[in-house]
Amino acid sequence: MLDEADVRATLAAALAGGGEWSEVYAEQRDSTSLSIADRRVEAISTGRDLGAGVRVAKGTQSAYAYTNVLTRDSLLAAARAVAAALRGNGGGGVADLTTARAASVHPARVDPVAVETAAKVALARRAEDGAWAAGGDVRQVMVSYVDATQRVFLANSAGHLSDTTRVRTRLAAQVVAARDGLVQTGFEGPGAAKGWELYDEVDAEDVGATAARRAVRLLDSRPAPAGEMTVVLSAGGGGVLFHEACGHGLEADGIVKDTTVYARTRGQQVGSDLFCGVDDASMPGEWGSYSFDDEGTASQRTLLFDAGVQVGQLTDRLSAGKLGVGLSGNGRRQSYAHVPLPRMTNSLVLPGTSHPAAIVADVDHGLYADGLGGGEVNPATGDFVFGVTEAYLIEHGELTARVRGANLIGNGQQAISLVDAVGTDFAMKQGMCGKGGQWVPVAFGTPTLRIARLTVGGTG
Amino acid sequence: MRDQVKALLDLAEQAIEGAGTHEQVEAYATHGIGTSVKVFDGEVETLTAAETRGVGIRVVLDGRLGFAATSDISPAGLGAALAAARDNAAYASVDPGNVLPSPREWQPLAGIVAEGFEEVDPGRKVAVALRLEGLAKAADPRVSGVSSASYGDGVSRMAVASSTGVRAGYGRTDAYATVVALARSGAETQTGFGLTEGRSIEDLDLSFAAAESAQRATRLLGSRKAATTTVPIVFDPLVTAQFLGVVASGFSAESAQKGLSLFADRLGDEVAAPMLSVVDDGRLTDGPATAPVDDEGMPTGRTVIIDEGRLAGFLHNTETAARAGGGARTTANAARSGHRSPPGVSPTNLYLDGPTTPLADILRSADGGLYVQEAKGMHSGVNPVSGEFSVGVTGLWIRGGELAEPVREVTVSATIVRMLLSITALGPDRRFFPMGGAMAGATLLLGAMTVAGS
Repeated sequence: MLDEADVRATLAAALAGGGEWSEVYAEQRDSTSLSIADRRVEAISTGRDLGAGVRVAKGTQSAYAYTNVLTRDSLLAAARAVAAALRGNGGGGVADLTTARAASVHPARVDPVAVETAAKVALARRAEDGAWAAGGDVRQVMVSYVDATQRVFLANSAGHLSDTTRVRTRLAAQVVAARDGLVQTGFEGPGAAKGWELYDEVDAEDVGATAARRAVRLLDSRPAPAGEMTVVLSAGGGGVLFHEACGHGLEADGIVKDTTVYARTRGQQVGSDLFCGVDDASMPGEWGSYSFDDEGTASQRTLLFDAGVQVGQLTDRLSAGKLGVGLSGNGRRQSYAHVPLPRMTNSLVLPGTSHPAAIVADVDHGLYADGLGGGEVNPATGDFVFGVTEAYLIEHGELTARVRGANLIGNGQQAISLVDAVGTDFAMKQGMCGKGGQWVPVAFGTPTLRIARLTVGGTG
Repeated sequence: MRDQVKALLDLAEQAIEGAGTHEQVEAYATHGIGTSVKVFDGEVETLTAAETRGVGIRVVLDGRLGFAATSDISPAGLGAALAAARDNAAYASVDPGNVLPSPREWQPLAGIVAEGFEEVDPGRKVAVALRLEGLAKAADPRVSGVSSASYGDGVSRMAVASSTGVRAGYGRTDAYATVVALARSGAETQTGFGLTEGRSIEDLDLSFAAAESAQRATRLLGSRKAATTTVPIVFDPLVTAQFLGVVASGFSAESAQKGLSLFADRLGDEVAAPMLSVVDDGRLTDGPATAPVDDEGMPTGRTVIIDEGRLAGFLHNTETAARAGGGARTTANAARSGHRSPPGVSPTNLYLDGPTTPLADILRSADGGLYVQEAKGMHSGVNPVSGEFSVGVTGLWIRGGELAEPVREVTVSATIVRMLLSITALGPDRRFFPMGGAMAGATLLLGAMTVAGS
């Protein structure tokens, strides 16, 4: 993508302000997105985005400049801008560039760029048909299809050179159902770090039908109760809670700044001894996976909680240096227009030994949450609020009434310390995670989890 | 600035040169330059300098719409994007909304460009962020640190040219500084957010942002859970702005036409208290989102969405107005997230309007009530389609007309319309926050609601 001599000159120019380490990141992203709403295929959009960023670091400081004009002159101008920001003299040198080999690769068999637009429209139409087929209560069906083929070029003054391609595609359906003035919505959106072959595994009609069933089912629900109770999270359903309430606290930038409650609990027993958690960007083809992170570090599986003990953290180069710990391969950026931050990829709670049915059977009075919507967490305290998209009451060991509008309110560390049953089952979901104004694809995976008590905020 | 906007307009005109007689073609060109500085513990943590350019092309062909974007602005790159947009149109559905606007006369707006903006030395920007961090740390002895302090600014320029005759463009400058203070007492940590913004670095009031962040963090120290109760609710300006941001999605004609707005089919209905109006104004002097034209080149204006409690209209772009028919016109609320996307509908500067009440009177009349400083789950806990509303809240009890002890982990549940109807007073402290358009906050007194605790 870039000429190697230009890259070497840029890396050297960036170090002229006393920098210890410099980096060039360049990216070409070819993407397609289309959406169906109101039975119409709305504007189909394609784009090619090409750009590069130059970064330099010195101790705890860094500077970054980016441009979407990829000429030698504009790269050197960006390098001079970052060098000036550090305001020093005589920095480090540039090592010989050696192409790095990836340990985990996520090959796409069929590049979506090569697939006809007509086939993408037909796929989205099948999802739409699946949703409308769910019955007369369905009022609106929205389907979106996205794919991106992202070529990432990375070089740094320590000699790293890589040029890899990441392919991702996702099909999502959102359905609105209504009856007697009550309006409810349902969502389903599988995605993967794979090519068009994903749709050999994912049945488009089923994506629409699943979203529609969720919306229609909620029409037969009553408002959720409020109060403290036992909460069972279904396999896959609790992943977003682990991601938000624990995972973000283990991103090392917050630990460095002591702005997360997890900064003060390293090495301590935080969760119950049933609780094991990891982050794993090397899972083959998973939505949050990659071969190298956005700083050229190879992806890996990082143990975060070992039988409840907080044993790991997620780092990028700057935060790893400040903390004096190793690189975990979690330096991610939305695009060349963003600086890397330590981010989760695929965050998982590992399966345990309890039969999922037995986990519910032991509960006298509680809430079974089959899916969580978005949530918010205060990283300083770990206090969280999550919307529950689909839930049931548990009465005398059985799922009874379907309820809606529940919120889960609590504290992350307290919640994982109260995990008293972990299922043998496991499921994953895909989503987008926002931090510092940057959005990256992430996936969540969990077994069935039981939390002994949690505050449920309901409207009933 | 004028020369650079002219150059961008030339680029947009160049992009539509290949338009045929049987099609409508529009090019939207942007050019942005920005700086951001983040400091931590008295040192620069990150400094980012950015420059991006790009063009987005819409083609309407036989009633179908196609779109393509490119950052390659060479003649070949522009030609390839036009060809891709044309191809994409072939697979889209025919719709009456697929039309490009006809030109309308527009006037430039004074006051949205700060002269000399691009000559400000980066060192001065760093100094502003460091000063803000220092001020926040010094604002109160209970402030134990600052988790982030930053300065950011940008020049954004846009131009639109179309085969239907639209020619428009402008530039705007923005600057802001934000800080998050940490207050600690024993094992408890609280955070508080502070913001100051303007057209240039000179406009920023750092002492104000520092004091705001320190006050918001420290006054929550010692917060406790509470038992369930039903009391009057007061929103602080930031919470009101967040609430308005959630409600605003329902004001879009695009949402209404898709059945995704709780206000769909409710024109003329009483949806808010009679004292309350909701107004979108793209030309307000103190509005961050102020611009002479929208992202289709249509002149901005003032739209009354709720008029003294009654739903009076929706926000439109050209597409939604054409689809609505019956003489509907765009309200110039076409908005894009850069050159990479076709226009949607978004508010400009959105605010609550009506007679205002002094803050002291609001607190006095809400005795025993809850002053909400933070609402968590404004997106997850609020369903903008059904209007169901349930959020986790942190705030302070109101006793004897004063803010008293802090409270945490309680929830407030209601429906959006019930909340809008229950509003009895609006504070005079209007202030805009940047969140998907510019949302104005102000202290707001709502009726009694259930606050659920343990």
